[in-house]
Amino acid sequence: MTEVFVNMGEIRVLRSTGVLTTVGLGSCVGVSFYDPITKVGALAHVFLAESRANSDRDALPGKYADTAIPALIDLAVKAGASRERLVAKIAGGAHLFSNITPEHLSVGHRNVKAVIEQLNIYDIPIIGKDVAGKRGRKMKLYVDTGVVIVTIIGEEPKQI
Amino acid sequence: MNNKLDFLQELGNIGASHATTALSQMLQDTKLELTVPKARMLSFAEAANFIASREEIVVCIYTRMIDMIKGDIAFIMPFSCAVTLANHLTGDDREQLNEIGESALLEVGNIMLGSYITALSLLSDTKIKPTVPGIVIDMNGAIWQSILAGAGVTEAVTILDTKFSTAELELSGHLIFIPDNAVFEALYQKVSSCWKSEETL
Repeated sequence: MTEVFVNMGEIRVLRSTGVLTTVGLGSCVGVSFYDPITKVGALAHVFLAESRANSDRDALPGKYADTAIPALIDLAVKAGASRERLVAKIAGGAHLFSNITPEHLSVGHRNVKAVIEQLNIYDIPIIGKDVAGKRGRKMKLYVDTGVVIVTIIGEEPKQI
Repeated sequence: MNNKLDFLQELGNIGASHATTALSQMLQDTKLELTVPKARMLSFAEAANFIASREEIVVCIYTRMIDMIKGDIAFIMPFSCAVTLANHLTGDDREQLNEIGESALLEVGNIMLGSYITALSLLSDTKIKPTVPGIVIDMNGAIWQSILAGAGVTEAVTILDTKFSTAELELSGHLIFIPDNAVFEALYQKVSSCWKSEETL
C-alpha cells in the first residue's frame, strides 16, 4: 500500500487506496478530509493559526489554518470529492513543554481553535478529533476506508 | 566576525567548552567529547523534512530565554542513551526511566543548557533570564515541531547544533540553540561593534 508522508505545512491527496501519514504533530494540527463515496482523502499538517500574523508570502497553503482549510477543499474537489460530502477529522494541538506557561493560549490550543473556526466557516462537519493534552501524535488516514489512526507514545493507537 | 553564523559558532565554542568541563566532572568520565559546534541555517522545508522522519522516542530538556534576550535551547538525546545515563548517575540498572532518573537527567540537561546561557551572557554582557527547565519524553519530530512553533519560526531558522559522545558510556546527544531573530540581530550588532573597536586599538 502506498504511504505518502505529509510534511509540516504540506497538503497531500490520495484516491481509492493508500495511506496519508503525518509524523511529529506536537502543537501542529493534522486535518484530514474524506469523501466516503469517491474515496478521496486529503491531509494537511497545519503549523500555525494565522497567515496574516506572519509576513510569509511564499508559504505553503497547508502551513496556516486560515489558508489550509480552503486549500484542502480545492484539492479534494479537484481529485474528485464532492464538496457537500466532505467530512473532517483532526488531531494534534498538544502543549508538550509544561514548564512553559503561555502568556495567552498555547500554540497548540490556538491552532486547534483556528482549525475548528475555519471548518465551521466552510461548513465542513468534524466527525472525529483527538486534540490538546501534552503528548505528541502521529496521524494516519487510510484512504480506502476513511479510518484515521492516531498514535501517542505509550498508548494504544486510537481510531477516530 | 563576518556574519550571524560566525557569531553563533563562536558562542558555540565557548558554550561547548564550559559544558565539557561541567559534564566531565558530573560523569567522572575523561573520555567525554563534544564535537565542534555547528552553526547552520535551515530552511523551513529542510526543518519540515527532518521532522517528517523522526518518530523515535527522545528525552528533551528544554528551557526558553525570556526578557531582553530571547531564544530556545534544548538538550535532546535518544531514549536508550538517556536510560544509560540515568542508570549511571543513580547507580540503578533499569530499562525505563523513573522519577529519580528523570530528575538526574534534568540536572544534567540544566548544566548543559546553563553552559550555553552563561556563554551567551558573557559574550553579550547581558543578564539572561531562563525559564525553569522542563523534561519531555516524546517523539523527536513532535518535540522539534513544538520548539519551532513556540519560537515562532516561520521561515529559515538559525540553529546551533552540538553533538556530544562518550566512548565509555556509549552516549550521544544534541544541544540545539535557536536564538530569537530580532534580538539576535541587536546582539550581533553590539558584539561586532566591540570587536571592531578592539581591532582599531
